[in-house]
Amino acid sequence: MLKVGHIAQMAPLRLYARILGIVFLVLAGAMLPPLLVSLVSLDGTWRAMFASFLLFVLLGYLLRNVLGSQADYDVQGRNSFWITAMVWIVVPLVASIPYLLTGVARGFTDAAFESFSGFTTTGSSVISTPEQLPAGLLLWRSITQWIGGLGFMLIVVVAFRKLKVGSRHLYDAEFSGAMQPKLHPRLAESVNRMLRVYVLMTALMTVLLLLSGNGLLNSFCLSFSTISTGGFMTSSNGLTSMSGMTLFVVAFFMLFSGMNMALLYNILTFRWRAVRGDEFKYYLLVFGISVVVATVALVAAGNGAESFCYSFFHLASTVSTCGFFINRPEHWSFLVSGITFVLMIVGACSGSTGSGLKLKRVMIGVRYVRNYFSKIMHPNAVFSVVVDGERIPLAYIKKVFAFIFLYLCFFAGGAFLLTLGGENIPDAVCFAVSNMGNIGPSPMMNNLGMTIDYAMLSDFSKWTLVVLMLAGRIEIFALLALVSPSYYRLKRELNFR
Amino acid sequence: MLNWKAILRFLGVPLIAEGCAMLLSLIPALHFSDGTALSVLVTGCFTLCCGALLVVLFDKSSVTDRRTPFVMVVLLWIVLALFGSIPFLVLVPELGFADAFFESMSGLTSTGATIFPQVESLPASLLFWRSVMQWVGGFGIILLVLAITPSLGINKYSLYTAEASGADNTGKTATSMGATIRRMLWVYLLLTTFFVVAFLLSGMQFWDAVNLVFANISSGGFSIYNDSAASLTSAQQYLLALTMFCSGINFALVYSFFTLKWKRLKGKLEQFSFYLFLCVSVSLFSSCVLHFRMGDSWSEALQCGVLQSISMLTTTGSLAADTTLWWTPLAFLFVLLSLCGGMAGSTTGGLKIMRVMILMRNVRTTLSDRLHPHAVNPVRLNGKPVSEDLVKNVMVTTFVYFAVLFFSVMVLMLCGINATESIGATVGCITGYGPGLGLSGGFGSYMGFTVSAKFVCSFVMLMGRLECLTVLILFSRAFWKDFGLR
Repeated sequence: MLKVGHIAQMAPLRLYARILGIVFLVLAGAMLPPLLVSLVSLDGTWRAMFASFLLFVLLGYLLRNVLGSQADYDVQGRNSFWITAMVWIVVPLVASIPYLLTGVARGFTDAAFESFSGFTTTGSSVISTPEQLPAGLLLWRSITQWIGGLGFMLIVVVAFRKLKVGSRHLYDAEFSGAMQPKLHPRLAESVNRMLRVYVLMTALMTVLLLLSGNGLLNSFCLSFSTISTGGFMTSSNGLTSMSGMTLFVVAFFMLFSGMNMALLYNILTFRWRAVRGDEFKYYLLVFGISVVVATVALVAAGNGAESFCYSFFHLASTVSTCGFFINRPEHWSFLVSGITFVLMIVGACSGSTGSGLKLKRVMIGVRYVRNYFSKIMHPNAVFSVVVDGERIPLAYIKKVFAFIFLYLCFFAGGAFLLTLGGENIPDAVCFAVSNMGNIGPSPMMNNLGMTIDYAMLSDFSKWTLVVLMLAGRIEIFALLALVSPSYYRLKRELNFR
Repeated sequence: MLNWKAILRFLGVPLIAEGCAMLLSLIPALHFSDGTALSVLVTGCFTLCCGALLVVLFDKSSVTDRRTPFVMVVLLWIVLALFGSIPFLVLVPELGFADAFFESMSGLTSTGATIFPQVESLPASLLFWRSVMQWVGGFGIILLVLAITPSLGINKYSLYTAEASGADNTGKTATSMGATIRRMLWVYLLLTTFFVVAFLLSGMQFWDAVNLVFANISSGGFSIYNDSAASLTSAQQYLLALTMFCSGINFALVYSFFTLKWKRLKGKLEQFSFYLFLCVSVSLFSSCVLHFRMGDSWSEALQCGVLQSISMLTTTGSLAADTTLWWTPLAFLFVLLSLCGGMAGSTTGGLKIMRVMILMRNVRTTLSDRLHPHAVNPVRLNGKPVSEDLVKNVMVTTFVYFAVLFFSVMVLMLCGINATESIGATVGCITGYGPGLGLSGGFGSYMGFTVSAKFVCSFVMLMGRLECLTVLILFSRAFWKDFGLR
């Protein structure tokens, strides 16, 4: 059985503490702008914000410099999963403090839900009227998404830049292996470039939003939500009241943020020749076809030409797993919600901030099936799955299929738990798919006429959704490693098995 | 090129069989004298003649290319469903073609989804035709998985065949294929007779018993009563549950059991125990829910719970109560369970238990691979490593299965069916369970669906029954393209 000594051997607790500490210090830094905003806006929330800030600093200092002072930097397979899962569970829990202290959340469950939803870039909200939120908190909500979109492990990798062994493991754990963008052979450089792309995109979008006549706070909130494919909105009826120009900007940036970061880097550095790739092609193709089908279906059902704009916006919001929606003047038919349903499962490109199954996996699956058919027709020929000119090894394909199966299991299990929590079947399926894909308040629900007010859900449903969001964001395996018995066996025993 | 002569000739024999099966409905037509005898005679003879014509017109020719068999199998189901819809069109004149085709396909794929809200008003001969179609369809699927698809190279990887005739695995010869078919036919007939007799002993009328067993041993689920199995006595309901349970067991296993070849049972024991475990645990769970949550008495809850759970797991679709009115989580659990299905090589639909087991173990392997990247860790069944080819087959089938599932939910919604109904109908049709959710669920019918939605559902049934790959390959480029190598 497990003994205390074994725990130390399996899990280097000092390292865990240090990593957590670093993340908290970063959070404290991220708390500064909202703190400033609440000081300026004089709405009386600055005390709560300041208290949270102090808490983050204190926790960060304690964990990093006291408990984790002599950390042993050995991050192997097991630990990388555990560290990822731990950070992703602990940090959002603690970071729900601002919601509690300012009193906007009705209880711990609501606060935690909001916080998890932010960090996993889901964007489901228990706050029914965001326009009444204190300005500082509104900003904080958006910033959590922005950080979550980057991923905690990226922060850790940046902080541990000197660390030679193991950071690749950590980085992989968050993205379930080889799905992360490869911008440069060196991880540190790659991460650096990613960060630059991310910041640049955000800045660009904010400027464009400002130019199209939005307020400063609103622009920042909206661009943080968009670039991270989060989906927290500043108004209870989505982006309905925004100007056409704003919607245009948002739609295009949503599409961009669903793309691979490496691709975006090439676009932003004007390396047009490098802007290609099979996944990119599929992404545009899938998006294009769905927009056409949706428009045709809507027009056939008697809607006007504005159907195209709505389809474009809503489907861009879905493929990028962002989750913005525009209210329709009259009820939009549910025709399109079928398309959004499938797109929500498929999700965005690999190496983007979006979630879902990831287009690359689906693409590999489809190509493998195609090869399988070819193999039936020509049993002696050898076929291999090729993506971007590179042969995908069978072991990797198996992993992809295992992941898809797991994803569906989580989805089905989550929907079942939601029905236990009191939802009816279509709502449960909808909630499960949109929260697991980190879409959040999806256009599908809006089209189906569902209320997207998560405050109405039971506590049980909320926690189920939290687990689903996490599973979708850290791609299940890290979460599963926490409960898998094989991860609790000691190395020594395994060697002699 | 496709060998059309061989295809048409191949279609002839099953059509003759279908014509004969139609003529069987003459017996109830004459017995109950419902005035349909003439129509039944004409349609039966027409089908028979069409089949005979094909056999006479086209000589036997050997099939050498790889495409023809696939086209044969898919066309077989479609053509049989087309001819099977004639009696519906003739006997119920107000029915549209989409309705008749839907009902016929539902019978032939032993799905059990019906478009008739009131089956009791149908003539007896038509009721019998529905039951017979399911019975034939149920046997057809056993033939398909045990004998035909292995020779197509889809399931040749010992998924079903290995234990059917003992030690041989791949490369079945024609003689052993014929032997397999004969054996399975015996098992099927034996089971049918056994349960008909059992129901007769329980005090049921012969007419009821035959229809009930035909529809349930094939895991179909058509009923001759509006309220399906709800008005049966408690003993009969348990017997019905047993019938369905048997329909979910691998037929090769049943054969070894009856022929007292106990040693061969071992090969499938793990799957059988998993199947048994699922049946028992789900039955207990739903009984508990019925008792504690819905206030049924224990005897009532147990009876209802067992019947409904097994009906779900074996994707039969006989109902003891209107499940749409049950506690939502239970209703949803049933939808999920029907995706799992019974054992491979049985008449049930769904993914099949073997696939689910292999998939789960593949996940475990993937997890431990990360800890021990250099360890050799194959997926095991019954303690033996499963061949790589089988794992590939399972992965591909599952992927395609779910792709088709989600895609048809989308298409149904585009056809104007609402979310609940789309999800329910797709799962009901692809697994062969039958009833969906909402209006099409419980004792309801698919009558309210639009014409396009009915065709989509029929197609989904076909896909589900032929396990997607056989149908989908016809739509692949690899199938039609010549690589220059023959």
